[in-house]
Amino acid sequence: MDPADSELLAETLRKTMTAASGRVLDMALVELGWPDLLAEFPDVAIPTAFRLLGETGAHAPLLNDVLLSAAGRRLGGTLPLPYAGGSWVVWDRCDQAGTTLDADLPLRSVPAPLGGEPVPLAAGRRALGWWLTGLGRAMLSLARSHALNRIQFGRPLASFQAVRHRLAETLVALDGAEATLLAASASEGDNSLGCLLAKAAAGHAALTAARHCQQVLGGIGFTAEHGLHRHVRRALVLDGLLGSSGELTREAGVLLRKERSAPRLVHL
Amino acid sequence: MNVTEFRAGVCAWLAEHDLSPGPDHSLDGQVAQLARVRRALFDAGWIRYGWPAEVGGLGGPAVLRAVLGEEVATRDLAEPGIYSMVEVLAPTMISYARPPLAAEMVPRLLSGSEQWCQGFSEPGSGSDLASLATRAVPVKGDGEVDGDWVVTGQKVWTSLAQYSARCVLLTRTAPGHGGITAFFVDMDTPGITVRPLRTMHGVDEFAEVFFDDVVVPGDRMLGRPGDGWRLATALLPYERSTCFWHRIAYLYTRLDRLLAETAIPDEAALGSAYLALHTVRCRSHATQRRLAEGERLGPETSVDKVLLATAEQQLYDTARELLPGAVELTETPWRSEYLYSRAATIYGGTAEIQRNIIARRLLSLGRD
Repeated sequence: MDPADSELLAETLRKTMTAASGRVLDMALVELGWPDLLAEFPDVAIPTAFRLLGETGAHAPLLNDVLLSAAGRRLGGTLPLPYAGGSWVVWDRCDQAGTTLDADLPLRSVPAPLGGEPVPLAAGRRALGWWLTGLGRAMLSLARSHALNRIQFGRPLASFQAVRHRLAETLVALDGAEATLLAASASEGDNSLGCLLAKAAAGHAALTAARHCQQVLGGIGFTAEHGLHRHVRRALVLDGLLGSSGELTREAGVLLRKERSAPRLVHL
Repeated sequence: MNVTEFRAGVCAWLAEHDLSPGPDHSLDGQVAQLARVRRALFDAGWIRYGWPAEVGGLGGPAVLRAVLGEEVATRDLAEPGIYSMVEVLAPTMISYARPPLAAEMVPRLLSGSEQWCQGFSEPGSGSDLASLATRAVPVKGDGEVDGDWVVTGQKVWTSLAQYSARCVLLTRTAPGHGGITAFFVDMDTPGITVRPLRTMHGVDEFAEVFFDDVVVPGDRMLGRPGDGWRLATALLPYERSTCFWHRIAYLYTRLDRLLAETAIPDEAALGSAYLALHTVRCRSHATQRRLAEGERLGPETSVDKVLLATAEQQLYDTARELLPGAVELTETPWRSEYLYSRAATIYGGTAEIQRNIIARRLLSLGRD
């Protein structure tokens, strides 16, 4: 896919996700050819779609498709998904309210499956990583506008260095996480460690964004009348899906101790 | 020559030519080792790749220099900070020196026959570099650019000044950013005094340099009068790409060393230190790629700088935690390296200046 096509795809997806969410979006994406895109251009389709879910605040059960596709199974269904702490969840393809902190997501706890096929974690983690950094960008954008528009002591909040540095710190975390995601997409062969690290970096970046942006937004960001809380809830819930940033970081540490050496994953 | 061939060639050559440092870890020893490594790599040709033929190079893409530095750092052949100084000094000469001067001088730097230093910071001009006050005055008055200039003032944090034959020096010739002019100064010129600074990590690599009526020929001016600020900002992309790649490779070797030495199974701390290193490696890799594609690097490299400084300090904090007493009780390299890592958020533009740049230029938050 050339850059112009990628651009067009991103524009189309953005429009679709701005107009619809949940079940309606799920169906609209099938209309747009999501299954073919996933099969033919996964390295463009997955980052673009998941990043835009984050940026627009929409949701759709696309993670199921990414995992089913990676497992070579038919798209359109669901499968039990591992969650932090050894829990399991299912992401339903309906508009029923879920039972997690982010009730907008049709996500509910289920008992641990007995046996069954292994979940292809790498592809799912990479996709969720893009969603998490997209959420971080959405939060940063809200906090940035607030800092520029809100006047206190006769000057915009954005003129205070303490505020500026929080937002700078947020951008550093997000840009760093995206670099790990890009490196994970580009690597061939077994990239499970790259995807694990990318999900950990992205989860960490989204939580960093949540912390700094909530602080910059002050009181208004704590109300349910402002949009921030939706992003914060979603970041917390998605961070735990397929392993939280804390768990994945520890898992990387276990591997390091076992190998007694730190794998160098990207090369010039 | 492409990266794969080059790396294979370098590795094969290094396997046959042992350049491991001797037992002398003093600064004198480090500088002598650096000269030895450069000489050998110059004679074998490796360090000439990635530089243009006009200055004694063998051509090829600049990324080859990043690859060579990575292999040098991975084997601990030279301290990466002083090894990488070439990356900012040589491009400055190539872009701003008169071509015959660059052709004469750059090979001396690459081959290790000379060390050079960079006279930028001053006692009154740290983060606010553009306020520098070391004066250069033309001897014969205005208009005669090629005549002699007289330099008076003081520089500080000048790395390796006590070993250097030349100095890329920023001076004040007129008010404001447009009044900064750079010179290439011979360090044996009468009127120059060098006083090494004692540092807390025990390696006195920085010095104060005093200039008392130092006469510099006009043909040693780098660029035109007033080009100095442009010169200083133009070298940032080199400092933030190839130098960073070398340093990251070095930090990976220190994480390996920590893994080999620690008996404390703190997987969270080890994983977190590794994640920070992996993140800056991925970021720096993307920056290298952009450089290779001919993109102009700019304020976004402040992100690389913050990631690197943060990862470096986190790594050494973790080492101190997981090797209890290694920094405080014993005289291992961990002590000196731990202490040096404290400077990572200060040199090359403080962490605060980087965040100011990110806020202003990348987030468009307006003036502070």
